[in-house]
Amino acid sequence: MDATRAEVCAAALADFFEGDGEIMASPMGLLPTLGARLAKLTHSPGLLLTDGEAMALDGVPPLGESSGVVEGWIPFRAVLDVVVPHGKRHVIMGATQLDRHGNQNISCIGDFARPERQLLGVRGAPGNTVNNKTSYWVPKHSARVFVEQVDMVSGVGRKRAGQAGAAATRFHNVHRVASNLGVFDFHGPDHALRLVSVHPGVTVDEVRKASGCDLHVEGDVPETRTPSAEELALIREVLDPTSLRDREVPAA
Amino acid sequence: MSRIRQLDVAVSELVGDGDVVALEGFTHLIPVAAGHEIIRQGRRDLTLCRMTPDVIYDQMIGAGCARKLVFSWGGNPGVGSLHRFRDAIQHSWPVPLEIEEHSHAGMANRYTAGASGLPFAVLRGYAGTDLPEHTESIKTIECPFTGEKLAAVSAINPDVGIIHAQQADREGNVQMWGITGVQKETVLASKRSLVTVEEIVDELEPRPGSVVLPKWAVTAVAEVPGGAHPSYAQGYYERDNDYYQRWDPIGRDRERFQQWLDTEVLNVERSAR
Repeated sequence: MDATRAEVCAAALADFFEGDGEIMASPMGLLPTLGARLAKLTHSPGLLLTDGEAMALDGVPPLGESSGVVEGWIPFRAVLDVVVPHGKRHVIMGATQLDRHGNQNISCIGDFARPERQLLGVRGAPGNTVNNKTSYWVPKHSARVFVEQVDMVSGVGRKRAGQAGAAATRFHNVHRVASNLGVFDFHGPDHALRLVSVHPGVTVDEVRKASGCDLHVEGDVPETRTPSAEELALIREVLDPTSLRDREVPAA
Repeated sequence: MSRIRQLDVAVSELVGDGDVVALEGFTHLIPVAAGHEIIRQGRRDLTLCRMTPDVIYDQMIGAGCARKLVFSWGGNPGVGSLHRFRDAIQHSWPVPLEIEEHSHAGMANRYTAGASGLPFAVLRGYAGTDLPEHTESIKTIECPFTGEKLAAVSAINPDVGIIHAQQADREGNVQMWGITGVQKETVLASKRSLVTVEEIVDELEPRPGSVVLPKWAVTAVAEVPGGAHPSYAQGYYERDNDYYQRWDPIGRDRERFQQWLDTEVLNVERSAR
């Protein structure tokens, strides 16, 4: 059976962790969590997974379930003390807006003091983007998310980090972005958004039309790889047997 | 010198109009009953601080208690937005709400500086973001040793710090365990503090990983069983996830919210000792 769009996204997100070694994975949201667990069961066994609260997991449980084995007790305050400031973490965050230079906004839409839409707040973004590796997941690619310039920089992109100096660049590494349409990085000219691959069934033109910012495209853009038979079995039978993934990314 | 008080007496003694008040608690042990008592007593113009304001701050903001919010995340955990919070910021209802936004680490460091008696804390986060432009309490400083440019955030020293814990003894020593946030720092940073507890016991049993606040660090203790509901108190009760779901439609609608406030808070006498 062919891989669904959600399964392609899960494998793409898993690939974000490849080569990370023994660091803490902090995937925010359902598909990033599926991706991190898939990575741990395939190419990245050294990843440290947590239950998202205070436990480090030893096993790799299905989505929505907890692991039978607790590897350690690492509540939020300990994460801030021992993990965040040392670059030993890879976070996949969401983005209400993400701009061409990799700046992310989760604070507000419109004017800061009297916004059109007050969002949840910057949370960990200012620290994550300068203290450890960060990627983004956008389940619904649109021109409202991919913008030329965000309204309020919450997570920092490469260019602004460079301008801010050494405190911002020591561990700064905005790695990649996955959306329901493709995979992106910031290796375009002047660290601009670049299309790395389009998911099977998606055209470059569709991605362009769905983006509100300029998109750097080099030559023939490859297709995002489809998950292997082993990965599909892990996703379908082990990690997400109730297909929660299809609710976040409906079949194309 | 901590004293055992009734909740309503403690709140009226400690919390005044215009005060800077921090009700802390991270997912677990949120001092909800104390927040409701502040609403009942009609406090106004408060500056509310909290790393992760959730439903209780939505209720206090909707009730018109606050003029300013200092925070790093405001939401209904696992559900979505806080609609009273958004209505206040976007439409000034029922009163305008000024915001001071920080990152999580920034807030935690601000409390730590406050607890340490230092004027500010230093961190790398914030570099390159738009926050320093909007937030007076973030400045850039140069490290005197390396020359590195870093963010300085001013200490938070609330007039009143309020937290919920599992137990206190009869002298007012406090113990909490399970997931703790910045409660210890909040109490130590605050000029006055109130700890509501599930239970007052004869003796606090030592527990691994617990946070103990000695009586001399705490101004008042009130016994309020269930005082963290709908959040949870490890060892006492589970989180009431349905409450958070039910809050969404109530919080969305000004009229429904007002009805909720009348029936669930304003006209309810808490039977706290």
